[in-house]
Amino acid sequence: MLTVNAFSLSLGDKTLIKALSFEIANGQVLSIMGPSGIGKSSLLHFLSGSLSPNLTTTGEAFLNDEALHTKAIQDRKAGLLQQMPLLFPHMSIIENLLFAIPADINKPARIAMAQNALQKLGIPDKANALPKALSGGQQARVALLRTLLSKPDFLLLDEPFSKLDPALRRDVRTFVLNEIRQANIPALLVTHDPEDAKAMEGERLELGKQNS
Amino acid sequence: MPLKHAKWITGIITLLLIFPIVIGLVGTLLPAFAYFPPLGEYTVSLAPWRNLLSQGEFYASLKLTLITGIVAPLLALWLALSLLAWGYQRPFFRKIEALLSPILAIPHAAIAIGLLFLLSPSGWLVRLFSPWLTGFDRPPNWITVQDPYGISLILALVIKEMPYLLFVMLATMKSIKARESLQVGQTLGYSRFTLWRKVLIPQLYPIIRLPIFIVIAFSLTVVDLALVIGPNTPSTLAVTLLRWFNDPDLTMRLMASAGAISLMLVIVLVLASWEVAHLLFRQLTRAERSNGKRFGLTDNILRLGVVLGLFTLLNAFVALALLPIWSLARRWRFPDALPSQWTWDNIERATPLLMKLTTNTLTIAFIATLMACVISLVMLETKRHNMTDANSSKPHVFDWLIYVPILLPQIGFLFGLHVLLIYLNLNGDLDAIIALHLMYVLPYVYLTLKGPYLSYEEEYLQQANRLSHRPWRNYFMVKIAMLKPALFTAFAIGFSVSIAQYLPTLIAGEGRYSTLTTEAVAQAASGDRKQVGSMAMLQAFFPIMVFWLAQFIPPRWTRWRLKLKQVFHIGLIKKDKTC
Repeated sequence: MLTVNAFSLSLGDKTLIKALSFEIANGQVLSIMGPSGIGKSSLLHFLSGSLSPNLTTTGEAFLNDEALHTKAIQDRKAGLLQQMPLLFPHMSIIENLLFAIPADINKPARIAMAQNALQKLGIPDKANALPKALSGGQQARVALLRTLLSKPDFLLLDEPFSKLDPALRRDVRTFVLNEIRQANIPALLVTHDPEDAKAMEGERLELGKQNS
Repeated sequence: MPLKHAKWITGIITLLLIFPIVIGLVGTLLPAFAYFPPLGEYTVSLAPWRNLLSQGEFYASLKLTLITGIVAPLLALWLALSLLAWGYQRPFFRKIEALLSPILAIPHAAIAIGLLFLLSPSGWLVRLFSPWLTGFDRPPNWITVQDPYGISLILALVIKEMPYLLFVMLATMKSIKARESLQVGQTLGYSRFTLWRKVLIPQLYPIIRLPIFIVIAFSLTVVDLALVIGPNTPSTLAVTLLRWFNDPDLTMRLMASAGAISLMLVIVLVLASWEVAHLLFRQLTRAERSNGKRFGLTDNILRLGVVLGLFTLLNAFVALALLPIWSLARRWRFPDALPSQWTWDNIERATPLLMKLTTNTLTIAFIATLMACVISLVMLETKRHNMTDANSSKPHVFDWLIYVPILLPQIGFLFGLHVLLIYLNLNGDLDAIIALHLMYVLPYVYLTLKGPYLSYEEEYLQQANRLSHRPWRNYFMVKIAMLKPALFTAFAIGFSVSIAQYLPTLIAGEGRYSTLTTEAVAQAASGDRKQVGSMAMLQAFFPIMVFWLAQFIPPRWTRWRLKLKQVFHIGLIKKDKTC
């Protein structure tokens, strides 16, 4: 369970988000909506630990009652998925997946995990292909599975569907929700498409309204 | 690069960059005022300056230097702008663009030697028209190369500098939105050349000011090119100074140092006057820009520039083509346009020498360029840290410091450093040669890498670290691997800069280590065209080869790597089955 307590965000002397609190249970997706520039992405960066230094934040975050906001980036175990799939263009699909699997797992098991992910994606023949050989929707799915293979404790989704064709979006959304439920970790989705929020079948938070 | 203490590293590298510059400057300045402990001169006086100013040769050399050093950049700039205005975005111009990097890569000494083969009285040009047109059956008694006015030197300088300026200009076309401006202007009814004159060139100039300054400084101070194809008595100032520095009478060094200081002053004065001239020119043409005329007579200046520019390029290619022909010629008597007999003998005979020269050349170039790549990466990483930390666009210390070695004249400066090498007991050492090469390779590698490195999408590396927190490994496996094309190009440029170095090799090596360049320059005047041709050809071959590899390998690297891995993997599975 991911808990955020009284999170506030300000840029200079302008307050963007004030005393925001929420909880996300395992396997659930909370959707945060609101206009651009309201600080949605900054909330994600606060949780992942990569906030830019000119923003000031207050508030606490806990993962299963363990403080998150005091930990170093590498100890937070946050999975982040953005608009761009960020698949490494110089590595094959299977290398991209293997890259994320923790190094302490033995080699045959790692390969089996990666191949299992490829099966799930329906592209076992593309193991040695480069990312650019995949369609946008396939790339988004590979990116999600790559993030999940790194065994994150929670997932942050920063408008991961906005670059996809409308026709593809529905499939990818269903795929993402299924995977999150299977992984059974809390997920936070930032979007300004109400359809995204609806498809995630979870709670919804509108940031602009709360602020005014 | 997960660097800690970026500030400290910046400081240390800054000191390492400044140290040789200061030593070189002090080592030139003190002897110029007669203070030179190695010769037992401890009294400061103006005697070297009095000697210098009483030398008639000084004034004659200075005049030649000023003529060649100002005319060549002016011509190069005019021709490059004309060619760009004429050909930009035309399909066949792309082919010319593709030919630019080989010319850029070729050491200038090789081009000068090619020109010598082309233009000298017994050269290919006269042969081509003899005897049917000229009636000559022996070489005429003309002075066509090494002419006392420096015309052939100017031609050689333009051939080397025009492609460089063109290359730099092409890289800025996007940032001044050239295509869009041309479209808008042409719908207003402006002719192409007028648009370039009134709209694009004024925007282009401030961006390419520094490259132009580099070209001017190079023209005023070049040694190897002037040795091969420049005038002899008197020679340009840089060559005269080299002779004085190498004079057996060691007190000549003091006068030479004073001459080197005056050469530095000349550079500063010429650059300053160039800027003043540009300001005046801008004031004069400002009103003309908005007078609404859609075309003008001055367009013809650009038109003429196109013709001369194409002619210059053609000259360069013919000159280069003559290098291998000479190295394979057995009998090539005067009026014949081509050798009557061909042979590999020249190359075979020269093989032991060529092997030794090639080994030296490549060893120095590889080590110096690899070091330059590593240092550039560290420098750029500290610059990136600085940019993200301070969040400021203040110019970083590296951004101007890196230009200093290129702008300072090698003559004088390097002799100052040589004194340090003697103190350190490193004179004549391979390490010393590599160190001096590094000083000239580093700026070019840094400047080539800078753009791609700083515009790298850092999110890839951050995502990699979120997926698997191994910062150093990810830096190499993700960031460096993705920057491979830029790194290869930077390596190729650094490599060709190193191969072209003449004075650093000569001064640090004290003649104990010869490279293809030093030997080709030394023998250019010898008349043994077959051997000189072989050396110049090899000198041109390696940079072109490395440039080609740098274009060829990166796009195929991943495919090859995956193929290799697959082959290896299949092997493993088969082994498993037999077990």
